[in-house]
Amino acid sequence: MKRILVFLFCSAALCLSQESRTGADLGRDLDEIARVATAMVDGDACRRIVTKRALEFMDKKDSGDPWIGADNFDVHHEPYIQVKKTLMRLAKLAPFPVDVNLWMPVEGMEGRIQVLIRNKHEMSQFWRWGALQQELFPPMKTVLEEARRVTVTEKPGWVSVLAPVHDSLGDVVGLVEVVSRTEWDAQKNVK
Amino acid sequence: MDPGGAILEADRIPGDAGRVLTRGARGGYVSLRLVARLARPGPYSLDVQWSDAGLESDLFREWFHWTEPEKRYYPDALIPVKTPYRSELPEPDNRIPKQSAQSFWMDVWIPATARPGMYRGAVRLEADGATVTRPIELTALPAVVPGQEAVTMDHNSYGSSWIGGLYPAARARGGERFFESDEFFSLIHSYHRLFHEHGGVFHQLGYGHGGKVGLEYAPELAGTGRNKRVKSWRLYDRHYGPLLDGSALAGTRRGARPVPFVYLPINPEWPASFLWWGEPGYEAEFVNVVGEMERHFREKGWTQTVFEVFFNHKKRYKAFPWDGDESRFPEDNKYFHEYARLLKKAVPAGSPVNFRFRSDSSWMMERQFQELAGVVDFWVLGSSMVSWYKDAPRMLKQRGDIVWIYGGTPSVQASAAAVTFAPFQCWMWDADGYVRWLTTSPGEDPWFRFEGGDTVMAYPGERFGVEGPIPSIRLKVQRNAVQDLTLLESLGKSRGIEELRAEASRRYNGAAAEDWWPPRPEIAGMPAQEMTNTTIGENTTAVKRLEETVNAGSWVELRKWILTLAAEAR
Repeated sequence: MKRILVFLFCSAALCLSQESRTGADLGRDLDEIARVATAMVDGDACRRIVTKRALEFMDKKDSGDPWIGADNFDVHHEPYIQVKKTLMRLAKLAPFPVDVNLWMPVEGMEGRIQVLIRNKHEMSQFWRWGALQQELFPPMKTVLEEARRVTVTEKPGWVSVLAPVHDSLGDVVGLVEVVSRTEWDAQKNVK
Repeated sequence: MDPGGAILEADRIPGDAGRVLTRGARGGYVSLRLVARLARPGPYSLDVQWSDAGLESDLFREWFHWTEPEKRYYPDALIPVKTPYRSELPEPDNRIPKQSAQSFWMDVWIPATARPGMYRGAVRLEADGATVTRPIELTALPAVVPGQEAVTMDHNSYGSSWIGGLYPAARARGGERFFESDEFFSLIHSYHRLFHEHGGVFHQLGYGHGGKVGLEYAPELAGTGRNKRVKSWRLYDRHYGPLLDGSALAGTRRGARPVPFVYLPINPEWPASFLWWGEPGYEAEFVNVVGEMERHFREKGWTQTVFEVFFNHKKRYKAFPWDGDESRFPEDNKYFHEYARLLKKAVPAGSPVNFRFRSDSSWMMERQFQELAGVVDFWVLGSSMVSWYKDAPRMLKQRGDIVWIYGGTPSVQASAAAVTFAPFQCWMWDADGYVRWLTTSPGEDPWFRFEGGDTVMAYPGERFGVEGPIPSIRLKVQRNAVQDLTLLESLGKSRGIEELRAEASRRYNGAAAEDWWPPRPEIAGMPAQEMTNTTIGENTTAVKRLEETVNAGSWVELRKWILTLAAEAR
């Protein structure tokens, strides 16, 4: 009987963890992952990801070719994979679906930022589908300028914790968005 | 036809070529448009009766979609109705002020076993105390349309969340478990049935750009590394079992048969976690799980379907460092090689299960034909750029590869015959099939604020009491075109396929056979990264011109000739 009760308790806890966490619970868990992320993510590797050519095309305008930037987006595979794996490991720290996204300011484009690595569940409070680069969001600006974590709960049911990423010089070169939702949707982003 | 009974400008046939041909081959459809036009608003009834037994007819009411940009109505969705059909004008649910005409699409199915010869019937319209009768004479030719289409028309979709959105009542009934309910799987199967019945196939891609897999698209996995295994086939088998054994298609006129193609859920994040990419764990997870899939499929006898390993992700969507879809960078080809190696390791040589490695290629297709020979064996090629590589379809097919083309769907504003271009183009190019990249997305309000329908060929039937999709005029026209091409190709055994192609092209849009393969432009040999959509557009105008010359009469002329050939054939 005891075994059964323990089993039932565990099942209920898992259910809660996957489907209906409160925003406060989520915020605490994500903040812890974000804190670890700042320690673990290699800012120098992050800076090596985008190719020079991709940057050159990123804000190129061609009236006959609206996809010229996206078609020429390219990355150096080695640092990309290295950083992505770190982000994936960080996501595994939670027993529920979490994505850890990498955001980097766009070199040569003041006030612009790009998501550079997304992950399995494609969660983000900031990324607009298909955008190569976007205007720097105020909470991200805070993270980059003040080198501190910021929690964002702008979209109902979503929690993102933004945390700084440092390079070997100690500069903040980017940030991670550790993100999840209070309600899990198994169908979302299967497309 | 508009709600006032006038033929839409794009569908007016030049000259007098618009004579309705009431004959057809057996094992095929003849379609008619019927218009009930009333002098004043009020009730009416429409009935179709056949004097001779042996044919089967289906009647559909045509929905008039209001399109905001043009501020006019176009018919497209087809609502199945029973005969006699009794309603009134204006049709209450279509809400068109001053509607004075209602058009209907009638399909007449001539079974392959039907007696050749004349069948007589009549259409009867009753309104305002008067009755009008129009006779129908339909000749069933001795020729039989072969069961295997000359061109596979594929209708693509992504995931399942759209089903919940398009069927709100079913979604509400199913509650939180809707996506595991019998009703949900029945809806999925109903889409397969509809497209199958219309001579085509249906695809649902079951994973996202980041690698998240829908629960019903993959077996449930457990463990990690060398211990990663299939935990449960429960949802996968409920989804795919009836499709792969053919039972989901039972009761259709084309008959129960396993679906010919299906995507696998394989992507860079499934079944192996990308966390282990380049490490032994990746290979272990991939080989273990894909090996289990092969065994499961083999044990179930699912050996008549092509299981497609297909990568849909793009690096621009920021989840993986390489392009699986429409690759543009040569160094990305190395990933294809690696997955081919893993697949070879997972699937035993000589397996009766038909795994194929599919690549949707455009920018560097010619380079990939060479570098991925023996790796990719299912090519889905960008429709405009294929015209640069005349020898490609034949070369690829000679080495055993499947060759499809991909592209979009003409909107309702185009002529009714525009939808015939893709299958005809495929047939002229000797390609095996054509993927319409999205065919289940009708837009926010297809009924009263339509966006044109270039991403839909099957509408949700729920508002009309149909628990599944309903067809469109464009789907019907496409089906009939494929049917005619299939019949024509069967006649090629005696006449020679090239001769048939040349004459068919001349009759279709006045083009010579060689016009379908314009001279290879200089850009065709350039590195992909030096191409832009602008330069591609500038170098594919010849094929676009061919499409622009298609008008409402194009298929009428061609069909007349095909049926004449069929009537003469022995």
